[in-house]
Amino acid sequence: MRLIPVVAASVVASTAAYGLALAADVTLELVEPITEYKIYVAENTEELVKDTEEFVAAIKAGDVEKAKSLFAPTRTSYEAVEPIAELFSDLDVSIDARADDYEQGEKDPKFTGFHRIEYVLWEQNTTDGLGEYADQLQADVTDLNDRINSLTFPPEVVVGGAAALMEEVAATKISGEEDRYSRTDLWDFQANFDGSEKIFELLKPIVSEQDPDFVAKVQANFDQVDETLAKYKTDHGFESYEKLTDSDRALLASRVNTLAEDLSTLRGKLGLD
Amino acid sequence: MTTFKPSRPKHHPRGASRRQVLVGFGTGAVALAGGRALAGSEGDEQVAVAPKGNADQLQRQSFYGIHQAGITTARPAAGLVTAFDLIVQSPDDLETMLRLLTERISFLMHGGETPTADPKLPPPDSGILGPVIEPDNLTITVSFGASLFEGRPWLAPLKPRQLVRMTQFPNDALDRDICHGDLAIQFNANLQDTNIHALRDIVKNLSQFMVLRWSQEGSVPVAAPMEDGREPTARNFLGFHDGSANPNSTDTALMNEIVWVGPHNDEPEWAHGGTYQAVRIIRNFVERWDRTPLREQEEIFGRAKATGAPLGAGPGATEYDTPDYASDPDGAITPLDAHIRLANPRTRASEENLILRRAFNYSNGVASSGQLDQGLLFIAYQADLEKGFIAVQNRLNGEPLEEYIKPVGGGYFYALPGVRDPGDYLGRSLVEAVRRRATSPS
Repeated sequence: MRLIPVVAASVVASTAAYGLALAADVTLELVEPITEYKIYVAENTEELVKDTEEFVAAIKAGDVEKAKSLFAPTRTSYEAVEPIAELFSDLDVSIDARADDYEQGEKDPKFTGFHRIEYVLWEQNTTDGLGEYADQLQADVTDLNDRINSLTFPPEVVVGGAAALMEEVAATKISGEEDRYSRTDLWDFQANFDGSEKIFELLKPIVSEQDPDFVAKVQANFDQVDETLAKYKTDHGFESYEKLTDSDRALLASRVNTLAEDLSTLRGKLGLD
Repeated sequence: MTTFKPSRPKHHPRGASRRQVLVGFGTGAVALAGGRALAGSEGDEQVAVAPKGNADQLQRQSFYGIHQAGITTARPAAGLVTAFDLIVQSPDDLETMLRLLTERISFLMHGGETPTADPKLPPPDSGILGPVIEPDNLTITVSFGASLFEGRPWLAPLKPRQLVRMTQFPNDALDRDICHGDLAIQFNANLQDTNIHALRDIVKNLSQFMVLRWSQEGSVPVAAPMEDGREPTARNFLGFHDGSANPNSTDTALMNEIVWVGPHNDEPEWAHGGTYQAVRIIRNFVERWDRTPLREQEEIFGRAKATGAPLGAGPGATEYDTPDYASDPDGAITPLDAHIRLANPRTRASEENLILRRAFNYSNGVASSGQLDQGLLFIAYQADLEKGFIAVQNRLNGEPLEEYIKPVGGGYFYALPGVRDPGDYLGRSLVEAVRRRATSPS
């Protein structure tokens, strides 16, 4: 909570620097939601560091089953804050790149992070050879946490982040290609939707004044996503992506595309360039 | 060939000057001059300069009528079929979707200035055709698949009687990723860019209801007029004329019999004015075909490759000559299993199997085998699906051509009746039938 005054000041400073002449009133209104969002992100990256410690410990102990069980829950706090995490593209590549980001696929030594570990755990059913990747993951998420804590959040990134998360899901996740070895994609979906909905919730009071129909439509689509994903909840998380029916996948695809479409207007509605 | 030289070479002609340009062309010249083919004719243009448009871009098909456009309408050079899954959970959803789709299609087919918005917002139009959209002969034809009805109890009783999920024929190797769908849209235009622009507009505006399932582009090659001045059919990617025996699509009475569903068909009343659409993505093994002796190719089709004339039809014959199977009962001239002979045996009985074909050639790059992935985006319209495409395809099962072709995708759909006027909307008769059922005592 000590953070708040500092963040608030930096938000105002940065919006001034972005030259939002017309949006003077709005940017003041944004101070509080962005402060809140910064806390949300900080809590998530702190959780990420903590959960990764446990995940890495299981890998180092050679406990394949425990490592597998911690893979998806560890990732969720990263997935929820991806719009901010992705600002550090060096870390994002190191933490979350997929095999098909490399021409040589899984054979490429630069293929590191969560998905390298996922590949070895599920495809090779071992923790052998993962020590170095686990150490690097820990170092990367710790670095990410430090960098985010000293970051001034650009308002347009925060506001645009709601749509950016939906674009991610729409373009490269709905097909089930993210967690292709573990099939834990639904955990990621939920985290991405939660991260997007968080931003929307924080901005809702401002937007609903000018466009209540928009807010109602977006909220209804988030609700339908939540209801659909809830069908796949288990005691300890989510069913395998393979359990997702064609009709539920189509519904999620339509909602995520429509959320991306609608949330892409948020920046403009708030007068941000 | 007639060469097209725009009066104002650096600019797309506008306003009155465009009308003069349009009047200045004979239709043959316009068809031949075809858009981009002549882009290099100026000689001293920079590489970066866009190919020139021509009067074709001003051609407009009416969106309004008792039937949808794009079925008996003359076939332009560029085709695209896209299938969607629908998120439609109630009659209200269906109506909202169809009204929105109607609004988009009527705008896209008419053309005009694209809407603008505050630059802080995403632009409402993709802008890929610039700030003014030319109609470019665009037709957008909407059809429903069996799954739309079957998955929804309030729609199921209204399914057109013959509408089923496409089943596998013996030579098919259907890929589920490019089959079926709740809804299909056929886009036809002079330029593929016009189809793509329209598709993107619909995807953007209807994401709440429509999820892309598969999409296939195709094209129709130009052809020079025949010696007697008649216009030939286009060639497919096997090098043969395709559609020679198509029924005359300008003959309204014939189309009412062959294509359009009406009171004489055993179909729900809402479906009158519509038609069954069979879409097939038929891969051609073109390398193998090109290594096949010409005589064998001709016997497989039953036509001369150069002219399209029926085999044995004599000198000067064209693709429009009618093959004389009666005097060739044993297939000495045209083998009994030749493609055109099986497809249309030219008997009184086979007249009830006539269909209106509207095919496009496709080229999808390279298959995993390292061979070319090319083929035919086959589209056929008929009032009776069983007597039409299904009966014809059943006769073709086992034909020698199967060595060279492999149907891999597509589906059966029902093209909706037309939108009669600006107060009407696509599928209104179906929505009203749904509502009548909901209020009538069962």
